Amino acid sequence: MKKTIKNLGLNIYSKTLSNGMEVYLIPDKNSHNIYATYNVRYGGKDNDFVYEGKMITVPKGIAHFLEHKMFENEDGNEVFEFYSKSGANANANTSNIKTTYLFSGKNNFEENLEYLLSYVEKPYFTDENVEKEKGIIIEELEMHKDNPSSRIMEKCLYNAFVKHPYKYPVIGTVQSVKSITKEDLYKCYNTFYNPSNIFIVISGNIDVNKTFKIIEKHENKRNIKNKEIIRKEYKEVDKVAKEYEEIEMDIKYPRFGIAYKINIEDYPYDKDLFYKHIMNAIDLKFGTTSLFEEELRNKKIINDSIYYTGVKTDTHFIIVIGAETTNVKEAEKRIREEMTSLSINEEDFKRRIKLSIASTYEVLDSIYAMNSMVINQLMTRNEIDYDPIKTIKSFNLEEINKYLSKLDLSNTTMCVVRKDK
Amino acid sequence: MKYTKLSKEAYNLHFIYTNRFKKTRIRINFKEKLDEEKIVYRNMLSLVLMEATKKFNSRRLLEIECENLYDIDVGSGTNILGNYNILSFYTAFINEKYTEPKMTEKSLEFFLDFIFNPDIKDNKFNEDTFNVAKNKLHVDIEKFSDNPGRLADYNFRKLVAPNTPASIKAVGELKDLDTVTRSNLYEYYKYLINNDLIDIFVIGNINVLKLEKLLDKYFKNKSIKENSSHILIHKDKTKLVTKKDTKSINQSILYMGGKVFDLTDFERWYVLPIYNEILGGGPASKLFSEVREKNSLCYYATSYFMGVSSIEVITSSIDSKNCDKVVKLINIELDKMRKGDFTDADIKKAIISNTAFLEEMEDSPDSIMRMYQNYEYLHLDLKDRRIKLFNKVTKEDIVRVASKIEIDTIYLLEGSKRDEKND
Repeated sequence: MKKTIKNLGLNIYSKTLSNGMEVYLIPDKNSHNIYATYNVRYGGKDNDFVYEGKMITVPKGIAHFLEHKMFENEDGNEVFEFYSKSGANANANTSNIKTTYLFSGKNNFEENLEYLLSYVEKPYFTDENVEKEKGIIIEELEMHKDNPSSRIMEKCLYNAFVKHPYKYPVIGTVQSVKSITKEDLYKCYNTFYNPSNIFIVISGNIDVNKTFKIIEKHENKRNIKNKEIIRKEYKEVDKVAKEYEEIEMDIKYPRFGIAYKINIEDYPYDKDLFYKHIMNAIDLKFGTTSLFEEELRNKKIINDSIYYTGVKTDTHFIIVIGAETTNVKEAEKRIREEMTSLSINEEDFKRRIKLSIASTYEVLDSIYAMNSMVINQLMTRNEIDYDPIKTIKSFNLEEINKYLSKLDLSNTTMCVVRKDK
Repeated sequence: MKYTKLSKEAYNLHFIYTNRFKKTRIRINFKEKLDEEKIVYRNMLSLVLMEATKKFNSRRLLEIECENLYDIDVGSGTNILGNYNILSFYTAFINEKYTEPKMTEKSLEFFLDFIFNPDIKDNKFNEDTFNVAKNKLHVDIEKFSDNPGRLADYNFRKLVAPNTPASIKAVGELKDLDTVTRSNLYEYYKYLINNDLIDIFVIGNINVLKLEKLLDKYFKNKSIKENSSHILIHKDKTKLVTKKDTKSINQSILYMGGKVFDLTDFERWYVLPIYNEILGGGPASKLFSEVREKNSLCYYATSYFMGVSSIEVITSSIDSKNCDKVVKLINIELDKMRKGDFTDADIKKAIISNTAFLEEMEDSPDSIMRMYQNYEYLHLDLKDRRIKLFNKVTKEDIVRVASKIEIDTIYLLEGSKRDEKND
């Protein structure tokens, strides 16, 4: 099926194969390069699921561990070796909700695509190669521990959530990584790496028909049945698990983050768009266009900007707001006073519409941005928005403000990183 | 894509015409011989000019206007390139056919105002914006050591190439910042506008004559001769220097390296990149395979060559208790390179990788701009010739440069927190 993103003139060809795998192709003849991603709807949050009829729990960090191990087959580290022969860049990444295997490169594209489809379907886990990977992943984990921003985010999520698996980092902990076995890995692989749980997105200088044929031919050869994946459901409460935590690091100025745990179950429309509206309202309150940020910066209460970031679950958004500061107490007090309600005024709203329109067009300048746009939309809404400008122009400020004003902003947890004593 | 260079007396205008991208990008570089004490002045200008213009006298108002101009991106920064300090201002804005008529003109004027119409009164920068910028730079200098990677890199450069531009801290020093005032910064600003070498790089689909007319309003005639960016190096070590510092962090960072002497241009810009691609260029390299995959000692182990300052660098993040083992493994791989213990297939892969990288640059406007900047400043070849010359690199070439690489410096920033239980 060919559909065009209105105004952008970007064509997307899609197909669902007989084994349930979805394929999205975005040809761009202006590009030199090709970018291919193989996306599994399986990530750091999927640690409790039904396997052979029973609900099981696997060690935290296993989705990321599995991603590492897929790069090894019977002949060793052959995947990187294979791609390097044609100058292609191969890599992979794991988030809370998905695992992506990717390569970019135009040389030997057809062969490279075949190889991607093949290596991800051939797990090869042994006691020895699983053990060997632990040292590498523990070094990756240690690297994150020396980053104060990562630590604040990690602690805020850990203390905000009570049951939801977003409580734990995608990479796991030293102990959980050490406890992973090859049997655990096979259980996860056999449950989640099912074609119906996978979608491929390829953008760049491709021949659409040829590319579809390669994928279809390959997938038709595989005799895999669709399997229902049953994940554990978590009933997350509105209260946070712990309200305050301090850690020490070797830094000059303290930093902090206040995490707001916001229940969004009552919002009746697209929750992903609602998240964007909330972030917009927060940016207008604390971002570089706000009087608030200007005042705190001029008074040297904060060193530079106020940052904000967040994560989404089906029932709650966690929004973390923080800064590097000379005075934690004062900065905290001022942010809390400001964060009692959220709304957007008409003038700001009109300006932000312009911003959204510009960023929509920006996607056209990069095959990576096109690919990410499709992945993100499929992961968050399960469908592609073929008229994004119309969506942006249809935002109703009154309706947005009605739901913003209903948000309960009283559940918070705070993490402060102080200088080592 | 078509490149034209217009050499005016006051500036060079490099125009890369293409209608491939939806945005137009402009970078204005002010280039001046590196003077350590002036680093903070240039860093201050990079900050203070972004804080306010005559028309919009606060960062907040500027940011609002950026949004009104369909999210125009405006930024600045400084970097040290060999013997030079470059202060850059850049912008990117979407073509007006996707937004509103006259947006290109408005965007250009808005961008140039940052540089040429600062918020000045009585020959001084505005007090509020000056103080905000000075405070920011003060904090940035103070917290330089917060980032372990940055600290280890700097400490290594000080050891491997002491008293050269390669060992200078690009953020500047507090003692120099203390001398900066609102009025002497404005004096320096005027000096910079009138004396620096100016190169303007434009990539996109705009009327360059209109841009030229606008620029001519601001630049007075002048004529300055350029010197080479390359740093002259000399031998200052006769034996291996090793140093260890300790910081309260979890992971230790290892740096090994040395200056490389007597290189031809071909060796510097073609053979050494191929050498490093094989040794520590990526997941198919020797270091990745040996230190990470076979021995599980790190997440990454890479090598690269700093072409302008002639320094070979190998780095990895490790557990300090494994340091000796990692150093030993790296030395074994260096030795293998000297003995030619690598295959023709390794060379072919490295050449293909470098070639593919150059081909892919065509998709990135920033990379294209960088290529022309290197062409201008370092006299590096352009894409097609680079590809041709990479393909001429032979095994003998690689073994010859490998024998010129001597590790004379080993530095470890040791993490003292590693064994604490902070899971």
